[in-house]
Amino acid sequence: MLVILALVAYPAVYHLLTNSPVANLAVAVLPRMDSMVAVLYFALFAMSFDFISGYTGYLSFGHAAFYGTGAYVVILIANGKVPLLPPGTPFVVSLLIAAVLAALLAVVIGLVSFRLTGVYFAMITLGFAQVMYVFVRGWDYVASNPRDGPAVGSTHAEGFGIGIPFVDQLNLAIGSFTGDTVTLLGHELGTYTVSFYMVGLVVLLSYFAMQRVIHSPFGRVMIAIRENEERAEAIGYDTFRYKLGAFVMSAFFGGVAGALFAGFRRSVTPENTFYFLVTGDALLASIIGGFGTLAGPLYGHLFDHGVREFLSNRGQGGGLLPYLQETLSEGLLTTQLPGGISVQGFIQAALNGHASLYVGIVFVLVVLYVPSGILGTVRSRLGGKLSETLPARVWGDR
Amino acid sequence: MLRTTGLTKRFGGLTAVDEVDFELGTELCSLIGPNGAGKTTFFDLLTGVLEPTAGSIELRRDGDWVDVTDASPDETAAMGVHRSYQITNVFPTLTVLENVRVAAQAHGDDAATFWRNVDAYDEYVAEARAVLERVGLADRADDVAQNLSHGASRQLEVAVALAGDPDVLLLDEPNAGVSSESVGDIVDLIEDVAEDHAVLLVEHNMDIVMEVSDRVVVLNQGAVIADDEPSAVRENPAVQEAYLGGYEPGDLEDRNADESGAGRDTDSGGVA
Repeated sequence: MLVILALVAYPAVYHLLTNSPVANLAVAVLPRMDSMVAVLYFALFAMSFDFISGYTGYLSFGHAAFYGTGAYVVILIANGKVPLLPPGTPFVVSLLIAAVLAALLAVVIGLVSFRLTGVYFAMITLGFAQVMYVFVRGWDYVASNPRDGPAVGSTHAEGFGIGIPFVDQLNLAIGSFTGDTVTLLGHELGTYTVSFYMVGLVVLLSYFAMQRVIHSPFGRVMIAIRENEERAEAIGYDTFRYKLGAFVMSAFFGGVAGALFAGFRRSVTPENTFYFLVTGDALLASIIGGFGTLAGPLYGHLFDHGVREFLSNRGQGGGLLPYLQETLSEGLLTTQLPGGISVQGFIQAALNGHASLYVGIVFVLVVLYVPSGILGTVRSRLGGKLSETLPARVWGDR
Repeated sequence: MLRTTGLTKRFGGLTAVDEVDFELGTELCSLIGPNGAGKTTFFDLLTGVLEPTAGSIELRRDGDWVDVTDASPDETAAMGVHRSYQITNVFPTLTVLENVRVAAQAHGDDAATFWRNVDAYDEYVAEARAVLERVGLADRADDVAQNLSHGASRQLEVAVALAGDPDVLLLDEPNAGVSSESVGDIVDLIEDVAEDHAVLLVEHNMDIVMEVSDRVVVLNQGAVIADDEPSAVRENPAVQEAYLGGYEPGDLEDRNADESGAGRDTDSGGVA
């Protein structure tokens, strides 16, 4: 609950701080608004990965296939390339269609893959996703240059609206240039901020839906399968059906995440959808945030993304490098260090474009010292869920 | 309750279970035999974990014999045949209560419900608590399974098998590795569950076998070499030869004093 409030307040805090005396610092440390939108939809993808991998113990290394399916379907519908669905199909409808198609794909992949367990399952799902990656890269129906992927064309110039389909008043468009701006209580909310809230709304609903499943009888069977599949079968569960069901649900939400991504960015490439490193990022987020915690991947991805942006070489505001170059004095920057390198040069060499290196080091440290991840560790330290234990800690047991 | 006809399992050249004709009634029947005699393989066949090479398995359901030779483990469990394991095989990071609750839930109609909170189903919690009461783990309900002592985890092992009210219980060495002070608890538990279940028990401690069994079946190299009342089996020369060589009946209540009071095959249980 606290986290939701914090996220809801983020745009205001960001706006306030970047216009305050500590603006330089704030710009350097805080992720930008458009990054936060990306954090949200990708966190949903990471959660859907955690839903199957962290709760049933089956590592879905081909999860990018569902993210990619969700993303491509949205773009193809918007470009009028899907039969029966005109370019004007409301985004919420195409999002649901994309998610259902991702779920159907999961039925096919799952029927084959769940004959295997352990690392073999991970490998065969990875194989499926890579086949789709190669296929999409070569399929010239989706885009004139399929290697670069499709973008939303002129048939769908306006932003994708999230809200009640066919009711314009209850829709707010998302996207960096095409999204809506809203004036609320005298403040104008920019397109990024509106996108942030609307994408956040879908992510939040999806999170609650997955949370619901985890805490249902079905979810308990998923956990039983993770804990001891042999015994789960011996006490009377047809584990194949439960695994397949969980896989399909997880693919559905993976598809939703992909659709949100496509709706916000309006262009996709095979590399940022179907490629195996996309699953890798979800795995990273899940491990840093806490495997089998569902909400953990959000923190994990926020952390991963925050560190990357903080250490990025982007010149356009944000990050440590521009911050140091701006705030350190000229004299200090040109000071020679031992070895004939200036401070300026050292900062450049250490920070420019090496974010992945530092994230990698952090990742290794997390796996070694915080194996249950951020949320997993906090939960076990406090002895339960934050929402239950934190109030008791702050106010004492009343 | 359960019968097999010509049940055979071969692994390559090795015949682990050799044309076993066996019928279990409403009784407590013990299955004994040296290590490698095929006892656990026999259990795996009965529960559908392994597919028999030949022969058939039938279950008595509502007065009729139903063929379950090709049934999967979950199907046999759903038809009321539950087993416990020689090596504790529960859900390690779940609590004791949750272990039994998830087993009880398997036999209701709600296991596939994914839209309602699990707390809405009081009946499974109530059933799980009743089972824990019965096995003597009621006060450990909130402990995490992997933190239990060995004796308590053996009780949980039986509790998980007991949930869902099976007709037939296959208990694979419930005493394995239990210290001699705790053996009595498990023996009481075995006798208690035998009151309302057909029980097939694998046990190495001969004192327990002789005390609790209505009937004893002896397996050797996959084949049944004796099937009779405990006292008759004890006197059977073939059994003496294959398994019981040198066995002298001991007093179950005084087993600490009588360390030799078990069969010669005591690597995994019986004598502490």
